[in-house]
Amino acid sequence: MPDCQHQWEMTHIEFGFLIFEKCSQPYSLRTYFSEKSHPMLGEKYRDGKCDWTVMENAQSFLFDLKCKKCNLLEDFRNVMGFMYCTGCLPDCEVEILQRKYESEKKWVVVAFGFLPKDREHAIPAEKLKILEDYFNQRRDTSRSTIAVLSYDLIEDFSRCKGDFIHDVGMLSLEPPGEKKTPF
Amino acid sequence: MKIKKIKDVLEAEVIVGEDKLDVEVKHIYASDLMSDVLAFGKPNSILLTGLASQQAIISAHMAEFDGVVLIRGKKTKDGSEKFARDKQIVLLSTKLDMYDACLRIGLADSKLMMPESQKEGDLPKDDINLSHKFSIDGNDFASAGLASTEVKSILKKIGLDPVLIRRVAISTYEGEMNVVMHATRGTVKLIVSPEFIQVIIEDVGKGIPDIKMAMQEGFTTATEEMRAMGFGSGMGLPNIKKNSDELDVSSEVGKGTCLKIKFYI
Amino acid sequence: MTTKELIENLSLKPLSKFDHREITGVFVSDMLSDVMAGAKSGDIWVTVQTHKSIIPAANLVDVSAVVITSKKQVPPDTSDLASKHGIALLWTELPTFEFVGKLYALGLMTT
Repeated sequence: MPDCQHQWEMTHIEFGFLIFEKCSQPYSLRTYFSEKSHPMLGEKYRDGKCDWTVMENAQSFLFDLKCKKCNLLEDFRNVMGFMYCTGCLPDCEVEILQRKYESEKKWVVVAFGFLPKDREHAIPAEKLKILEDYFNQRRDTSRSTIAVLSYDLIEDFSRCKGDFIHDVGMLSLEPPGEKKTPF
Repeated sequence: MKIKKIKDVLEAEVIVGEDKLDVEVKHIYASDLMSDVLAFGKPNSILLTGLASQQAIISAHMAEFDGVVLIRGKKTKDGSEKFARDKQIVLLSTKLDMYDACLRIGLADSKLMMPESQKEGDLPKDDINLSHKFSIDGNDFASAGLASTEVKSILKKIGLDPVLIRRVAISTYEGEMNVVMHATRGTVKLIVSPEFIQVIIEDVGKGIPDIKMAMQEGFTTATEEMRAMGFGSGMGLPNIKKNSDELDVSSEVGKGTCLKIKFYI
Repeated sequence: MTTKELIENLSLKPLSKFDHREITGVFVSDMLSDVMAGAKSGDIWVTVQTHKSIIPAANLVDVSAVVITSKKQVPPDTSDLASKHGIALLWTELPTFEFVGKLYALGLMTT
């Protein structure tokens, strides 16, 4: 329906786990969604040219968005999750935009695709716009709005100290302490 | 409260522990943070959680809980069932949300929901009562029925018997319609306690001159216009009496009417 | 019910600066993923989580308030971030299960 003003809702929600793995030589990060948790943090295994270490395990979920009016379904399986910018790198595009939008009461979140950041895992601009519409449709936008940015804008992953908006450490038997980014 | 009762009020599926449903538990712990469960959980408890992983079962086991209820229809997929069976932890799953699960358990046994400070000592022990109030505008036929629809929805959420809900909904509707037809404005108050449901419909209006007459089937003071809309067949008050367990009608001509309708659970 | 009425009726402690707003429902969970997937705009979010990432989660869902239960210590950077976003961050000493009983007695229902 070309003229539909889409009203989005989440659908096909699947709860599971986000696994973060790191390879030190060469430095590489990868993430993937799994139905099962991977409790063996620190476990190393060889896959291809790399020795991968399981860094983190987080409760997360996958979703798609569907238009309530015309039933158009948009696939968002590539969305790993959302990150909140903590302003750690003043030259980072995300931090620059965050500071710029603050006065307009426009709050910024970064939509992350799975890692490594490659063509298979990219989230196109149109999808980011749909996500933004989804969040803004659920609020009184006269109070504040949401801007969804691409993880392409992050200056340097290895130094990024952003907070992921998902449940890291839920599987720990230790009380929650300082959250460490899995990078 | 027996685990079987928890299973029933939550309409839960038993995943592990069919043979342990007779166990009596003393506390309910609602949390997804397992470190808290270990630090603050008490033996002889049930854990309500959305964390569908082995960690939840392990934590429950270490805290000497009797069982775990997974909410939001969640199920474990990581071999937790075997662990639960080995450690004799009952594992249930309910489609309900955490809030609805907590309140259904609290309604079934309000002592479980009492804050610690109230449990000890001589302080009066309040029952968990739900109370809701709705307004009705006289002569507003377009909105007529909205209050009783809300009442029905609330009772469905609580998980009460459908036959009981129907009786309450019908009585509330009849009472609401009477306000719309014969009064200037009114309120519907819904009170739900573990033992009874009470609906109090109070209005400001012309009042009922002869309550005995009004209780007779077929007696109506509805106008032609109202009857053309399908209302005012004279069955209102008699219908309420038929569907309720206690009905108290008080009225003052020129002032208004108050209906106190009670249903035992 | 407004956040003002909730605070007064249940003696909650406000931990941030915010404007009062209407409460339309309730969501109880300590899992950010469950909140992102299930909570609705206008809900009060009841949790024991106090890490500052609850604030962007609360913001994305547009909850009317976040209520921290169980006497949890809330770090200053969480309340600062809540004030920055104008989100009501409230506190109760009651554990979650008992707190639900109080909300229920006020007539709060899930939508």
